Amino acid sequence: MTSPADADLEVVHARRPRPRRGVSLRDAGPPVALVVVFGIFAALSPGFRTLSNVQNVLDAAAVLTVVTCGITFVLMMGSIDLSAPGIMGASAIAVALLVANNRNDNDYGLLGVVLAVLLGAGLGCLSGLALVTLKVPSFMTTLGISAVGLGVATLMFAGVQPNVSDRMLAGLAVERFLGLAHLTWIAFACVLVGWLVQRYSRLGRYAFAIGGAEEVLALSGVRVAPYKVAVFTMAGAFYGLAGVMVTSQLGAGLVQAGRGYDFSAIAAAVVGGTLLIGGRGGILHSAVGVLLVTVLTNGLVQVGVSPYWQGGVQGLIVVAAVAAAVIPQRRRNQVTK
Amino acid sequence: MSTPAVTEPAVAGPPVTGRAVAGRRLTSFMPVIALVVLLAALTVADPGFLTLNSLTAAARTSAPLVVLAAGATLVVLCGGIDLSIAALCSLATVFFALWLPDLGGLTTVAVVAATAAIGAAQGVAHVLLRIPSFIVTLGGLSIFSAIALVISDAGPIRVVDRDVTHWLTLYVGGVVPMAFVVALLVVVVVSLVLRSTPLESWIRATGYSESAARLAGAPVDVVKVAAFTVSGACAGLAAIMLVSRNFSGSPTMADNLLLPAVAAIVVGGTAITGGHGSLWRSLAGALVVTLLRVGLPIVGVPSAYEQILYGAIIVAAVALTLDRSKVQIIK
Repeated sequence: MTSPADADLEVVHARRPRPRRGVSLRDAGPPVALVVVFGIFAALSPGFRTLSNVQNVLDAAAVLTVVTCGITFVLMMGSIDLSAPGIMGASAIAVALLVANNRNDNDYGLLGVVLAVLLGAGLGCLSGLALVTLKVPSFMTTLGISAVGLGVATLMFAGVQPNVSDRMLAGLAVERFLGLAHLTWIAFACVLVGWLVQRYSRLGRYAFAIGGAEEVLALSGVRVAPYKVAVFTMAGAFYGLAGVMVTSQLGAGLVQAGRGYDFSAIAAAVVGGTLLIGGRGGILHSAVGVLLVTVLTNGLVQVGVSPYWQGGVQGLIVVAAVAAAVIPQRRRNQVTK
Repeated sequence: MSTPAVTEPAVAGPPVTGRAVAGRRLTSFMPVIALVVLLAALTVADPGFLTLNSLTAAARTSAPLVVLAAGATLVVLCGGIDLSIAALCSLATVFFALWLPDLGGLTTVAVVAATAAIGAAQGVAHVLLRIPSFIVTLGGLSIFSAIALVISDAGPIRVVDRDVTHWLTLYVGGVVPMAFVVALLVVVVVSLVLRSTPLESWIRATGYSESAARLAGAPVDVVKVAAFTVSGACAGLAAIMLVSRNFSGSPTMADNLLLPAVAAIVVGGTAITGGHGSLWRSLAGALVVTLLRVGLPIVGVPSAYEQILYGAIIVAAVALTLDRSKVQIIK
């Protein structure tokens, strides 16, 4: 917005107000799009505009929400994270083997869940360390860590599918509170935690700052590296929790638990208004993005489009959203890798 | 940007310092050394390994990987990355299986042309819309998978007419698998074309410093689109090799080749930051990766470790070959 005070302060940079207006437009865009898309599908399909379908959409969004909470911080730093499938696979199998199951005599209950989340955090920490110490770009380290996670998951899987018999874990997906599955409430809690971290903790604010201007931050005496590792660790913990949630939904541990979630989460975050170059967006943006993606998926199925198109639609959305976000900087940014 | 972020005014000092030269010497022999060491280790572990039969089988297995890696190497040399090769290859197997009854002998050409066009479309999107290449190709990955799932009804399609792909299953001189010869031909022809035209300098210039290349008048955008086109065409060719072996097309057939292909490129010593590297290196890298794949069970390591190994190799190889003079901030 161009308030008079702003205009006074920025006589030198006459062009400054323009990108700002872009930001506010970008902030309002996703919620408006959500309402519009929702309206269109509600008009097209009678099955879509029922209360039970709205519950369905919210329940279906739960796992993606948790994954996106993790990836948002990474994207805010300007990095990228492709490790969700691997970490989710590892934690999904781990939790299935740690709670009461048909493969061994473990029955750790909630402790098992915590351990699985910690495994995820550990793997995330590894990709952060590889980024910081080996100076390998994050899309490569996380691609590598994803493979490592899948390998660990395959090792634990050992050819026999672990079926969960633990009441608590299986109940999370089935039992409802106020019409929504417990998993959905966990997702809400994750958004809340993510928002608190983003808003009130040094970690969240530095993640923003790293994405905006890492060099400036480093020159002003902040040791950037530990915060980067911390962000990747936190993202890993979120993926770990998401893996646990998938296991709870399926009632069994699968190596493929996280398949495709990396891309869906990037799609959700980008659609919500988080820029891939970092420094913009946030948890609440991403939450709107998740809803947008889920509504689109659900609505297309209701209208009669084959569910196999899901990934394709997400791919188109991401490319379009990134292209739209880049347009304001087109002229300045000559080099695209 | 999340790819190796080159700051806009490419102020990177003199790109080649003394240490970098020594390091490059070492990395340029790395893939060959790794190949020899692996062969030796496997022979020690299982003396029966170094026979004509198993080497022939290994060469045949490696062919699709070599072709995929060779194509994507061009994109990496330009400083980008192509994450869609495996999905495009899967899509191409479906195309092949679907088109074969109608097109007959022309199917091979049609599939390669189609994938080349798709690759070009990705290149155009990358260049025109200024989207980072890994986002374009990540989007491409999911779009191609979706198309493949939809047109194949999410299942394998049998290829009944095997005459069209029969030539790929032959052996030259009774020893060398034809598929491997074709893969070698791809590497040789593309390398020769690059060397005998200004293309090689344009690609390297684009990879080392895009803004400098632009200022020097290199047709950067055209070169990039061309690299993506070749990468797409190679994915199509690799698909035909896969079909010739599996006698079917399937929407997920080649999906597990992405990591090995990326691993082959970086193990070969091609820098992910662009400019430094070659197709020959990727050939050596692909052979190393194939030997690892074939060799792990021989040594008695469960194949689950294969994935973990890929992950470790990719990170380690990128760390070794990264051109640090160019990247100031690693995202």
